[in-house]
Parts: sequence; C-alpha cells; structure tokens
Amino acid sequence: MIGIMGAKAISGVGSMGRFARFIWQSMVASVQSCSSTHSYSLIWTQMYFIGVRSVPVVMMTGAFVGMILSIQTYGQLAGMGLEEYLGSLINIAVVKELGPVLTAVMLAGRIGGALTAELGTMNVTEQIDAIRSMGTDPVKYLVAPRILACLLLTPVLIIFADLLGIIGGYLVSVVHLGINNRAYWLHSANAVEKWDVFIGIIKGLFFGVAIAAISCYKGFTCKEGAQGVGQACTEAFVASFISILALDFALVVISKAIYDTFWPLRSMV
Amino acid sequence: MKKKYDNNIDMEKNSNGMLTVKNLTKKFGTNVVLDNVSLTIENGKTTVIIGPSGCGKTVLVKHLIALLRPNSGEVYFKNHRIDNASEHELNKIRTHYGFLFQGGALFDSLSVTENIIFPIRQHCKITDWKEVEELVKSKLAMVGLDGFQQFYPSNLSGGQQKRVALARAIALNPEIILYDEPTTGLDPIRSDVINELVLKLQKELGVTSVVVTHDMKSAYKIADRIVMLHNGKIIADGNADHIRNHPHPVVQQFISGQVGEEDLAVLRMSGAISQTQFLPRDFE
Repeated sequence: MIGIMGAKAISGVGSMGRFARFIWQSMVASVQSCSSTHSYSLIWTQMYFIGVRSVPVVMMTGAFVGMILSIQTYGQLAGMGLEEYLGSLINIAVVKELGPVLTAVMLAGRIGGALTAELGTMNVTEQIDAIRSMGTDPVKYLVAPRILACLLLTPVLIIFADLLGIIGGYLVSVVHLGINNRAYWLHSANAVEKWDVFIGIIKGLFFGVAIAAISCYKGFTCKEGAQGVGQACTEAFVASFISILALDFALVVISKAIYDTFWPLRSMV
Repeated sequence: MKKKYDNNIDMEKNSNGMLTVKNLTKKFGTNVVLDNVSLTIENGKTTVIIGPSGCGKTVLVKHLIALLRPNSGEVYFKNHRIDNASEHELNKIRTHYGFLFQGGALFDSLSVTENIIFPIRQHCKITDWKEVEELVKSKLAMVGLDGFQQFYPSNLSGGQQKRVALARAIALNPEIILYDEPTTGLDPIRSDVINELVLKLQKELGVTSVVVTHDMKSAYKIADRIVMLHNGKIIADGNADHIRNHPHPVVQQFISGQVGEEDLAVLRMSGAISQTQFLPRDFE
C-alpha cells in the first residue's frame, strides 16, 4: 500500500516536472516566435482557427448569460422593490466574472479539445517525430503559435462575450420585463468601473495561455491509439477547467488587493 | 535558396565512419530493448539492419538520429557526440539526415508540395519560389510521382505516401538517410520500386543509408552490409553472402523464414482449432 502510494507520488512529481519544463520551453519558443517574421504566418493561421471561428459561440454564450441572469434575479430584486438595480447586478457579474470565465470554459471545450486531438494524432502517427527529424523544434513550430494565438485572442473574445452579455441582459430587463431604461443604465454606470472591465479582460490573457499550454502538453504526451487521444482530450478539458477556476480565484484575490491599495476609499463604499 | 545558418559543429569525416554507436543500452521500464550494442555505419554504404519484430531495430535507428536517448552508451555523428547533445544542437545536426518513417509520417493537413518544402522552408531562405517548385518537381520525379503536387496524403495509397515521404526526406540533399521498414505493407512490385529508389539515391547522391527491414529479398538487393539484431544484441554482421552462410541457427531460421520449435510447441499445446466452440448467441 505504502509502496503504491510512493510510486504514485513519484509519478506525480515527475509529471509536474515534465509539465513545468514544457511550459518553460513553450514560453521561450513563444518569445522567440514574436521576433521571427517566419512564425507570423503560423500565428495568423492559428488566430483564425482559435479566434475568428470561436466568435459566434462565444457571443451566444455571453448573450444567454446576460438574459438568464436577468430572468433569475428579477424576482428577488422586484420583491424588495429594487428592480431598477438589475442593470448593475447583471453587468458587474458579466464583466467581472461570468463573461471571462464562461468564455474561457467555452474555449477550453472548443479549442482545447481540438488542439489536444490534433497534436495527439500527430504524436501517435509520428508526425511530431518527423518534425524533429527534419531539424525543427516541434514546440516552436506547433505550440508557440497556438499559445500566442490564445494569449492574444482570448481577451478579445471576452470583450465580445461581455458586449453580448450586456445587450442580452438589457433586452430582457428593459424590453421584456419593462424596467425603466434610464434607471437601468444609470445604476449600471454607477456600479461598473473601468477597473472591473480591465480585470475581466486581463483574466483572458491567463486563461488563454493556460488552455493552450495544457491542451498542447496533453497532445504531446498522449498515449498510443484512438483511446489514448480520446483520454488526452478529456484530461485536457478537465485540467483546463480546473485551472481556469483556480486562476480566477488567484486573480480575484490579487486584483482586490491591488484595488484596495490604490483606491482604499472606494473599496470601503 | 540559401541555408539560414552554417553548421559550426566540426563535421569532418573520421576514419570510424559516418555514425558510430558505442555500448548502447536502452530500456523501457524493465524491458531491455538494446543491450550493449556497438556499431559503425560506413560512409557511402548501405547498411541493412534485420531482425524479428520487436527486437529493437526501430529503437536503434531512432538513436542514430537522437530521437531517443540511451540509458547508457554513446552515439556519434562523424566526430560529434549526439546522444547527450541539446535539442538546439541536434536541430542543426539533423539537417544532414533524412528519415523515412515506417508509416510515412506525412503531415496530413499539408499537400504533397507543402510536405516536401517543409524542411526547405525551415532551413533555407527562399528567394525564388519558381526554383522551389522545380526542386519539388525533381524530387517527386525521382520517386516517380511528378504530377501529384496538389494531392493530400489521404488521397494517396500507402506506397505513394512512402514515396512522398522519401521525397521529403531527400529534400535537403542529406548525407545520410535512415529508412524504417520502407517496404512493409507494400505489394512486391512497389517494394521493388522502393528498393530501386534506395539504390538510385546511393548511386546518384552518394548518400549513406541505414535500412531497417525484415524483408530479406529487399535486404539482399540493397545491402552492402547486413547486421542482424536478436534480443537486443547484434548476432551477425557482414555482407549478404556472409549472412546467407552464417552458422548461427537464429540467423538461418530468420533468413529462411521458418517457424521455430518453440512456436510449434506452443501451437501444439493450444490444442486443435476444431475444438473451439464459440458460436453466435442465436445459433441453434
């Protein structure tokens, strides 16, 4: 029993070490790719697949989040006579938390799964070894463009999700539930600060890198066969999802500490 | 086309040959795949590595290009030790190699042309695309596939994929080509086409070749030297005649393709096939 636990602990530490080394190699390769015009075409291609083609699903996610929040919270607020504050509640939730997190989760499913499956298939069919055998670094050729594309475009996709979340919430609250238009926007403007929007978008940088790095690592290390690729995709999504939530928690704590430091009076209000 | 960088590693040919393997041992878990193997690949010659499936042929050839790292032992490309070299150093050294993978390992999202120009794009500064097109055409002509430039790997047969992979392997005019079972899965005629290609490349480009195979007809045709691996060790090493007349019973059994007494005993012990009574569920 102790032997099994020890073996698992050693295996876990080994996996962590390999992942840390992969992350380091990926970061170095990504920085090198930024200064190499040769890599730009690869980055553009990934930006199209990762960013442009994710816009519709991300916008739909954002719109539904706004609309559902509106329907769910209207009853409670109306009961206390505070329905005019619905805008502040919906918009702050969308901009600070739900927009970034749900966009990242959607990307982890859409992009993360695709990246792992693509790289995993390349791995089991020796295409990654073929890249190495031709004197090319597969991390620089395959991983760096995907990490850079996710890094640059996840914040942009969050902006799309936020925008549609705000519009969705507005349409249901004002058009469907009949809340006063002016009061809705006035309370929203008072509640949502530029800092909230900024932090929500900044989260996208971290989520994007986490999704791409985890998905690529799982693809590079997947086991042989169709089952191996399928298992790697599942593991990639689960690991990305947990990482998104863990990163979100860490970023909330850090951003709150920064906010309290620079604007102590506002944080007391 | 200009190479993007000059290889600053001392690539002077030494008397020991193109590739030298010294006391190489490789284990996967507790399974010893290569056991203290030493070998020198001579410059400009075709060395064929034979042996039964699972004896470590592919593992050995992957060590020759440092795609795998040994547990112990050394591998040298000319004078340069590659088994402990960094990936950055290896990327430069590997431009001297061509590697034909067993399954071809073509990039399935790229066309035939894009596959062949992949190493050229990575290592050469392309100034004239017409020159590149002509180069692709000439490489495809060498493997008998001119006109297939716009095809994708999924549109090609197994033999055609291997020939495109070979065209890609020779795109940078390598000094050494490693072939991992180039004729496996091909019909006898296509196998012979591949054999002729190996001979043609050696004759026209003067390349050093290392061919992993268990196809003895192919081995006798192309080999200057045949090395036989068994249980992770080299048990025979010499030219085709030497191997044909080798006294080791395992060598004779392998080259004649006869089933061994141990395998026959297992078959006898498993009983008669007609005794098996697995029938469909609704069989009456």
